[in-house]
Amino acid sequence: MTASTLARLAVAGNRTDMLRTVLTAVSALLATIAMLCAATVLSITGWAGRYAAALLVEPGLRPGVAATLVLVSLPVLALAGQCIRLGAPARDRRLAAIRLAGATPGEAVLIATAETAVASLLGSVAGLVAYLVARAAIGDQRTLPTDVLPPAPVIVLLVVLVPVLAAAVGALLMRRVIVTPLGVVRRVRKRGPRPWPGLLIAAGLALFALPFQEHLKIHIPAPRNAALAVLGGGVLLTMAGVVLGVGWISHTAGRLLRRYGRGPATLLAGQRLITDPWNGSRTMAALLAAVTAGSVALAYRALLATNFRYYDLDNQVMGYSNGEGTGPAADPSFYFNAIRLVMVAVGLSAAVAAAGLLIALVESVVARRRAYASLTAAGVPRRTLSAAILWQTLTPLVPALVLALAAGDALVRLTQTDFDLGHSYRECVSENDPEAHCRTLAELHLPSVLHVPVPWGDLGLLGAGALLAALVAVGAGVLVLRSSTDLEELRVG
Amino acid sequence: MSALLSGTGLVRNYGATPALRGIDLEVAAGEIVAVTGPSGCGKSTLLHCLAGILRVDGGTVTYRDQDIGLWSEAARSRLRRTEFGVLFQFGQLVPELTAVENVALPLLLAGTGRREARQTALDWLGRLGVAESAEQRPGTMSGGQQQRCATARALVTEPRVLFADEPTGALDVLTGEQVLGQIVRVAREQGTAVVLVTHESSVAAYADREVALRDGVVDPTGLGLAR
Amino acid sequence: MSTAHVLLGLLAAGPRHGYDLKRAHDDRLPRAKPLAYGQVYATLGRLERDGLVTEAGQDREGGPDRTSYEITEEGRRHLDAWLSAVDPPAPYVTSELFSKVVVALLAADAGRARDYLVAQRAAHMSRMRELTTAKTEPGAGVGDVVAADYAIGHLEADLRWLQTTLARVADLQKEVTS
Repeated sequence: MTASTLARLAVAGNRTDMLRTVLTAVSALLATIAMLCAATVLSITGWAGRYAAALLVEPGLRPGVAATLVLVSLPVLALAGQCIRLGAPARDRRLAAIRLAGATPGEAVLIATAETAVASLLGSVAGLVAYLVARAAIGDQRTLPTDVLPPAPVIVLLVVLVPVLAAAVGALLMRRVIVTPLGVVRRVRKRGPRPWPGLLIAAGLALFALPFQEHLKIHIPAPRNAALAVLGGGVLLTMAGVVLGVGWISHTAGRLLRRYGRGPATLLAGQRLITDPWNGSRTMAALLAAVTAGSVALAYRALLATNFRYYDLDNQVMGYSNGEGTGPAADPSFYFNAIRLVMVAVGLSAAVAAAGLLIALVESVVARRRAYASLTAAGVPRRTLSAAILWQTLTPLVPALVLALAAGDALVRLTQTDFDLGHSYRECVSENDPEAHCRTLAELHLPSVLHVPVPWGDLGLLGAGALLAALVAVGAGVLVLRSSTDLEELRVG
Repeated sequence: MSALLSGTGLVRNYGATPALRGIDLEVAAGEIVAVTGPSGCGKSTLLHCLAGILRVDGGTVTYRDQDIGLWSEAARSRLRRTEFGVLFQFGQLVPELTAVENVALPLLLAGTGRREARQTALDWLGRLGVAESAEQRPGTMSGGQQQRCATARALVTEPRVLFADEPTGALDVLTGEQVLGQIVRVAREQGTAVVLVTHESSVAAYADREVALRDGVVDPTGLGLAR
Repeated sequence: MSTAHVLLGLLAAGPRHGYDLKRAHDDRLPRAKPLAYGQVYATLGRLERDGLVTEAGQDREGGPDRTSYEITEEGRRHLDAWLSAVDPPAPYVTSELFSKVVVALLAADAGRARDYLVAQRAAHMSRMRELTTAKTEPGAGVGDVVAADYAIGHLEADLRWLQTTLARVADLQKEVTS
């Protein structure tokens, strides 16, 4: 197959394929911009006092800012990957027809992947242009680092990286798809999922707690970076555990729905969940990862707040004031601002993840439009079908969200749950008999131990926000259902 | 004369359901063989197995003295775009490509230059009388035009064997007859062997001989003159 | 089908003599049984007796006397009535094939009936293949195609019947011999 043939076959498509191409390109555009911004922040050298934002000034903080930007680009990339499945039925037919004409399985996957790569490349180049234009338009000021530019090889690398990553995600998704000349077969695992991902969460929690074990520190003097790597690994393992755990949650929820559900909606939803329990893992991964990250940030904020209160109380007891005594390296508001930034990133990620969920929902509705249309033709009201979609999304999502929130909070709580205030602020007045004349100071109105509270309110808000985003996605998906259940659908292709 | 294509003891199951239960069949070069039988007798499965689209669970498919069951999926795909042509009831054309692009597809996949592939495809569309639809997409063509275009695509590589599964099943009698007449005429001109799967006697009558299947085995009572 | 009506139809275009009529008949109905001369003259005689045709004249161009006939007004009315009449669709089910199966069951057993059906099916298929080849041959005229199509359609119906009856022989035997 020559390159021109590949290109011709890769851009062959109908309206849905067009939509997929546009969405893929837009995701690639956003991801490229986020990554270019991250690279720009990293390109600032030394103490950059010329900027207004403290996060940009300090060399030690900039990697954090860059990491946050990369964090935002990840769900966007996941969205690009998710887009590959949009318009799948038409594309499956096309690939099968091409296979029938004599294309090898490898060539079929190549054609499908090339579609994504081409669209992403268009998007990332557009992203580069948008970045350069925006940079010139903003001009020289002190808030944003428009005065530095990442080195050219880095820019080229980033522009190429996004299509490569998107194509890789696409190829990964196609791995479980066999394009035969007679149609596309999705490999389905026979056995239902097991709760093994729970072990992943446990391992993640254990890994995260490791650097904080005092007695280990004595024996193994680990370098700081190793500790950070272990912490990061712990968070990733926990996220993976939550995401993979959705498979088991979906399957179990499906079984329960079928057993205890009343009415056709729960029956349909339950059966879908049992038939494809991994659908939830695929579609909710980004959302759950974002919620887990958000939960970690919120728990960490609670920890910090308690820590600051501890300093305040300690200083108060010790009689210091005006910033003397123990305390954090910088103004507390600085830390809270940093966490707020992370929460903004989490919010953006969640929004993008909800868009991904919408795309997945639309895809699944469109893929089953004949089944839905024939159910409608057989007299099942659309309301029932909509309810089934709602059940099938929310039943696994709610427990998974709780799991994500709990796991994120647990991660932080493993490091520290309380601060001991000095127990014995006692002043002894008699030198002869210390015991008799000692009196307790300040202890009466202070707790001896400061517990780190579980930020119920914040976690609740985060969970509710994620749930709301999912509901909006389902609502939009149901609108697609309306057009897909047109009886006309029974007649086409 | 030794057979061009033969199946020996072919067995194929779908899960626990047997579709082929030991079928022997030989196709000589340039011969037109009809495979007939009621719905679900395994005739389409037999065609898919002979064409290397499906793997058999038992028995061997031999093409020019080679056991193609041992070949990789990619090697069998290449065989399909050079030595075999495949024609189904519908749906084998890529809906997003024009007629001429569809016909040129096997040539393009095999690495033929664009210009040459296009010219060859146009010639074939002309031979089947649908040159005027060259720039149309399948969706805008009539069923008969689509099947003619599909026939052109199946024959464009000048295959040695054409596999046709109910090629006129979705057409009205008159159009079906015209398309079938063209398939047979071109196949005879080209010396292409044809495996023609059908449940209609009138379609089977276009073949040199008939092999009837029943419940996944060859039905000797339906063999007709071939006995 | 009646030869008389075909001859009347041929004469509707103008007077013709017997030999001419036979040729036209065989040309227009290419796969029908060819007409014998005797049959042409016997039929013409009957038509003349009934007043549907009359002698139009004699000619003797390099041969024996040949009488040409022309259709009468009465003959045209008769032809018109025939063309307008709808044939009763299959009023009685009689067929050699059907009778043979039943008799085979009465006189012998299901095996005998089955053997007959299989052999008949093979013969039908072979005839159908012949007709298909004939009509797809390069020089085949429309008349050949239409004639072959007529026979193929009927053979196809017979074949369908043979096939389904093959599957029902056992049940039919139970009914016939009970």
